[in-house]
Formats: sequence, C-alpha cells, structure tokens
Amino acid sequence: MAPTQFIARVTANRRLTGGYFILELSGQPTDGGGSVAAAEPGQFVMLRGEWGRELLNPRAFSVLHVDPDGCFSVMLKAYGRGTTRMKALRPDDSMTVTGPLGRPFPGPRPGVAQILVAGGVGLPPLHFQARRAHALGVATQLELYYGGRDRDDLVLLDDFAGWDVRHVLATEDGSAGTKGFVTVPLAGRVADARARGEAIELLACGPTPMLAAVRKLALEHDVDAWLCLEEQMACGFGVCLGCAVPVHGPQPYRYCCTDGPVFTAKEVRWP
Amino acid sequence: MTALPRTVPISPDVVDLRCSFASLPLRHPVLAASGCFAYGQQFADFLDLRALAGLSTKGISPRPRPGNPLPRICETASGMLNSIGLENVGAAAFLRDKLPMLRAQGISVWVNFFGEDFAGYVECARLLDAGAGAGIDVLEMNISCPNIKKGGIEFGTVPEVAHRLTRACVEATRIPIVVKLTPNVADIVEMARAVKEAGAAGVSLINTLTGMAIDVRTRMPRIATTYGGLSGPAIKPVALRMVHQVARAVPDLPICGMGGIVSGEDALEFLMAGAACVQVGTANFARPRAALEVLAELRALMAELGIATVGEATGCLRAIPPEAPWEPPGN
Repeated sequence: MAPTQFIARVTANRRLTGGYFILELSGQPTDGGGSVAAAEPGQFVMLRGEWGRELLNPRAFSVLHVDPDGCFSVMLKAYGRGTTRMKALRPDDSMTVTGPLGRPFPGPRPGVAQILVAGGVGLPPLHFQARRAHALGVATQLELYYGGRDRDDLVLLDDFAGWDVRHVLATEDGSAGTKGFVTVPLAGRVADARARGEAIELLACGPTPMLAAVRKLALEHDVDAWLCLEEQMACGFGVCLGCAVPVHGPQPYRYCCTDGPVFTAKEVRWP
Repeated sequence: MTALPRTVPISPDVVDLRCSFASLPLRHPVLAASGCFAYGQQFADFLDLRALAGLSTKGISPRPRPGNPLPRICETASGMLNSIGLENVGAAAFLRDKLPMLRAQGISVWVNFFGEDFAGYVECARLLDAGAGAGIDVLEMNISCPNIKKGGIEFGTVPEVAHRLTRACVEATRIPIVVKLTPNVADIVEMARAVKEAGAAGVSLINTLTGMAIDVRTRMPRIATTYGGLSGPAIKPVALRMVHQVARAVPDLPICGMGGIVSGEDALEFLMAGAACVQVGTANFARPRAALEVLAELRALMAELGIATVGEATGCLRAIPPEAPWEPPGN
C-alpha cells in the first residue's frame, strides 16, 4: 500500500514505567491514500510535531497498535530532541504522519513456533505481532523473550499474559526474570529446539548488540530469523538514502525504510 | 529607519509565475533539488509531479556507485549532515529505467551528474547526451560534492580547474550545462566567472557546506566519513549571500538558488537576491509536498506584496539608505 502524509491528532499520551510512553493518534489521509490502519507488525510511521525549523526531520517509530477506524499508537522513550518534545505532547496536539512504511514481519506459520525477542524500546512490533496472532487465534504458537535493564524497563506484560503468550524475562540487574541478557535463556531455548527437531523461527527487535546476538544464534543453529532494524533516516520513503543497511548479495547495501526495516539474519552483513 | 516600499496587493490569480532560466521556459520558479528527490518516482505517491516546474535528479555517474558506510546522516540544529557518497544507479540504468518516467511528466528535467575524475565527467556528459538528447533540459554539473575522495575537491575550488572541466563538458554535449558550485571556497564570484567563461549556461548556488557532528557518549563522529555536507535552513543565510554576490558581480549569469528553502518567503528572498529560479532540497524529506507548498506560499506572498511577476521579484532588492552623518559634539 502506498504511503501518504497527513495530519493526525494526539488522543492520549500514556506514561508507562521505565520512562516509556504510548502516544495514541487519530487521523486519516484526506487524499484517499493508504491509511495507517492497514499497517502490519514491523511497519513504521514517520512522525513530526510542530517543531518549526529547529528540528527538521520526522522520526521513525514502529507501529504498536492500529484500530480499523484510523487510530494508531506508538511506544517510545525520550532520549533525544524529538522524542523529548513528543513526551510533552497532549491530547489535541497535532503531528504530521507519513506511513505506513516498510515491510512487515512474516505472519505465524502452522507448525512453527515463533519466538519473539524484544529488548527495551524494541517491543512495539513484537507486541503488535502477538496481538495480531491472538486475533487470529494462533497466539499459543508464540513465545516472548523480553529483556531490559530492570523490572521497570519491561512494560505491557499483562497484554502478553492476556493473549496466552508465554514469556521469559531477563533483566540486567535481576529485578525481574533471570539476571543478564535475554539472549542467554534464548540460546538455551534454541539449542533445545534444534536438539528435539522442533520447528522454530525468531523475530527480534531491540538494541543492536541484542540483534547481533540473535543473528549469531540463528546462523549457528541454522534457524530462520528476522531482525527489525533501526537506522537514522530523514525521509522514510527511499529518497535520502541515509538508512543504508549493509547486506550480502549483489549490492552492498539495502535500505531500512523501503527494503526493511525487517531483514533476515542471513542477509544482514554485520561483523 | 526605512520606509516600506509602496505596495498594492494584487489577487494571487494574477500573479504570473512563468519564468525562464538560461532561456529555458519554466512554468514557475520552484524545482526540486538534486539528492533530495531521488529520480522522482517515490514522490508520485504524494503529489502530481507535473505540478513542479522541474526537478534535478540524484547525481549520476558513468557507472553505478554503492555509496558510503553507515552512519550516513545526522540531524543538527536547523539542518542535517549527510555523507551518502553519491550513490546512484549509473548513466545507463538511469537512461533506461528512470528518465522515461521523468520525460513523460512534461516538466523541466535537470540531470545532475559527475565523474570520479576529469575524464569521467566528460564521459558522463557524453553518455547522457547520446542516450537522451532532447529528453534532458539541463545537465547540472556537480563539481561540489564534498563526499567524494580522489581529488574531486579541486574541481569545485580551483577556478582554472573548474574552467577546464566545464569547457570540456560543454563541448561534449548539446544540452545546456549548469554548474552547481560549492560554498566551501574563499571567493564564490571567482568560481562563477570561471565557469561562465567556460560556457556554462548558468549556476546552481549552493551545494552543502562541509561540517561535522560528534556524539560525546560514544566519542565518535556522528557520520562514518567524519565530515559531511550540511543542508537545511541552517545554511540559508550563506546561500543567500553567495547568490547575491554572484548576481551583482556576474550580472548575465542565470542563477538557480538553493540552500535551506522551506517556505515561500525563503524562495522570495532568493529571487530578490538575484536568483532566476529556486530548488527545494532538504525540506522534501520531511514534507514530500514541500516544493508545491513553497510554490503556493510564494504566490500568496507575491500577491500580498504586489509583485506581479517573477522577473519583478528577481533582483528587486533595495539598498538600506545611508544614515545621516555623525559629527562629534563641540566642532
């Protein structure tokens, strides 16, 4: 579906623990173009507030949730100039939205367990994937491996419980789940599945070191894995060429915005 | 203490935006800038390309180039740095896969081009001429990209070298050559004169300013090549100054002005400084319809100020009147 650009209204700005917040937006393109309501897990939107000339470019956010009526939400954390301003947004403030953009995660396949691996602010596309699977009645095929710095860094866990998605948690300080990185229990799970001949695949989104570990695990055990990447991008629709991703193949780079943000572990060319 | 010029607002409908650049007719003075509009097709999702006066393509080289390592861009105050590395599909693929769609729009097609060395520039001009002929309105010669190594910096900064290169390309093609100059020089006028004498039909002013940003947490530069090209509203005052200097010193040289234009008022400033037309660049990233929004605002502003034509706007800058002389007391 072709992306469009339109003005949306903030309907809610909900604070979660760990500095995260969920921005709910409502709006539809007026030119009859594609709506964000059609977005799939892994796809993203570019958002820009009324920032004048100081902050030039929109920021990319993975879609957390869509409603058929055109409401959608993103989850983020204030860490830079744009996201800090977004944290202060209130209902009725407006944002310019471009989307839906990018290619989504694959849907669940019969007979294959989908293991969702989330780290920190990488939760939204996997949360969306689980919600979608629940709506399709296949959520029991999914498992969540979710890591963060501490207990407060792990959010929206009740949703996964409500969808009957089993979850394994890990925190760096041990305040929830196992102590350390989530890729440690994940490694056990993958090795065990391979030993038993269980069909699994990995869907991951989170900090680059976590994604690198997931990729390594997938390649070592010959398990299919999809990584949802994040790169600096100015436009989000294939023009600025800022969000190049190094890949194996006929060309050295592909683009996070139009070819991704979801890439297979095999194609990504990382050290 | 300066009086406003006497203005009589007119209806936006009677503002005549038709103009010309180096004897090429343009429907209006707002084009999309190279490197910020790819080859146009992505924008068809957002706007009717035929509403643009024209566009300048991503820089084309004789052969495809893959571009630079990551990170390639970062946002800065009122601007952004980029070091894309002149990634492009190459002349043959451009002519085969991209140009036909652009020609079909009936707009002014400017093909930005470069070579990795002297011979590469001439080869590229020849290839584009041979493959497109009348399908390209302007060859915009990029002698100013900061993101290419191999001694390319001399082309845009040493007047004699720019002269030789321009002359060689002018002789290699029937298509008018417009030279896009770099602001990273001590004397822009000298560069403009050099390319004019070599046969350039006009100049595009300005390309990006070289700059740098540092992430103090990682203690690394924010882009992989350390330095990149700064664009956006942050560079507009520099661009205006250079357009004005060249317009004053080289009056017969058509100037296409660019550098941080995001509004109709920005565009009008460039026209008043002496540009015959303008390009909108970085603004396209955040707002794919930016060029058309700039155009609509320009029309409204010209109407409000009673400026009926583009020709009337170009170079209509007034001088600030001198102060009354000061005399020390007691004389």
